[in-house]
Amino acid sequence: MKILLAEDEKDLREVVSEFLEISGNTVFAVENGKLALEESRKNPYEVIVLDIMMPEMDGITALTKMRAEGNVTPVLMLTAKSEIDDKIAGLDAGADDYLAKPFSMKELLARLQAMTRRKEIYRKSVLSAGNTELNTKTGTLSAVNSISLSTDEVKLLELFMLNQGKPYSKEELFQQVWAEDNEAEISVVEVYISFLTGKLDAVGADIQILNDEKGIRIS
Amino acid sequence: MSEINDSIYGSQAEILPHVAELFQGKLLELDDLTVKESGCHAFEHLNVRVKSEDSMREKCIRKELEPTAFQALRTLHDSIGLRVVCLFQEDVKKCVEYIRGIDGCQIVEEKDYIKKAKPNGYRSYHMILLFTAPYQDVEGADPGKFYIEVQLRTIAMDAWAALEHEIKYKHNIKDPALVVRELKRCAEELAACDVSMQMLRNLVKGGGH
Repeated sequence: MKILLAEDEKDLREVVSEFLEISGNTVFAVENGKLALEESRKNPYEVIVLDIMMPEMDGITALTKMRAEGNVTPVLMLTAKSEIDDKIAGLDAGADDYLAKPFSMKELLARLQAMTRRKEIYRKSVLSAGNTELNTKTGTLSAVNSISLSTDEVKLLELFMLNQGKPYSKEELFQQVWAEDNEAEISVVEVYISFLTGKLDAVGADIQILNDEKGIRIS
Repeated sequence: MSEINDSIYGSQAEILPHVAELFQGKLLELDDLTVKESGCHAFEHLNVRVKSEDSMREKCIRKELEPTAFQALRTLHDSIGLRVVCLFQEDVKKCVEYIRGIDGCQIVEEKDYIKKAKPNGYRSYHMILLFTAPYQDVEGADPGKFYIEVQLRTIAMDAWAALEHEIKYKHNIKDPALVVRELKRCAEELAACDVSMQMLRNLVKGGGH
């Protein structure tokens, strides 16, 4: 998983990062809500962990702004044990789960994994970008024209549309779309990028897939 | 003779098949050239027809035109029709380019129903041409000018059109709205296959990735 972590206590930040990375995840750690918000605009994450009490910008404000910008990435809030109001405020602001400090690393990991497993429910069935709409239920891509997409094409384009302009690496796309396909090899990514490129063109979409040194994304 | 005199096309009835054949020859030349250059055919197959007497009369009546040779050959533009069916979408584009460049071939109208499909899902590229051929036309000019309608599409689009045609003339369909909706979805799936197969062909031609 690719995880964004915002935690102002340096020791805790480092311990959590290290544990999550040892468990096979990629972690980008920042020290306040403002940096987390900025990073969430630049790169796509599968899950975001936000501490509530942070300098510059607290976790709830950062989350509120992310949600207002259309970011639907699952978010887990870290709260102080006694603060019931914090938990409620976090959930109200759009958090998907919370964990009270002090917490066990194993529980944190298990909760993050559970959140990404059920991310289906956050999906909107119709996504749009520019003049282009993707109906994830029917697999129909439409702009001037309409065309059908296969299941994997829908998953891939959905990632791009939920994270417009944010660059993915080939490996990230492979892990997120083809993780459960034992026969797939990484070369499948480029083939599907070319399928999608052709299909976006065929429907007269005004968005396109860019694939350069910055990464793969739509603009 | 009486058969020809009775024809809605008048004396042009004898000429139209020759014009159609001449134009078909141009496309066969393209195919020969493409096979020599790349080893692939320019198109998968080609149909040519002169619109039947009955259909032409019926069309004139439907359009409230006098059923005369002049109306059939000047007001209407599909007395001679060609359908070019290609394997891939890029082959369709190449054929269109080639037709635009044929000597004595003036483009009257082009409609790209591939870029923007008809609401029912129909996809095809339509061209109406005014083709100059060494025969007298309906206005007495020699060499004369003859309208030709060309429809270009992929095998997948052609298969869809064939099925849609069959369904359209069946009147005892239980749930026509459902059939129309599902037929449109089929068109979208076939269009998706066309794009995927084109991309795969590019990939194979490019020697992998």
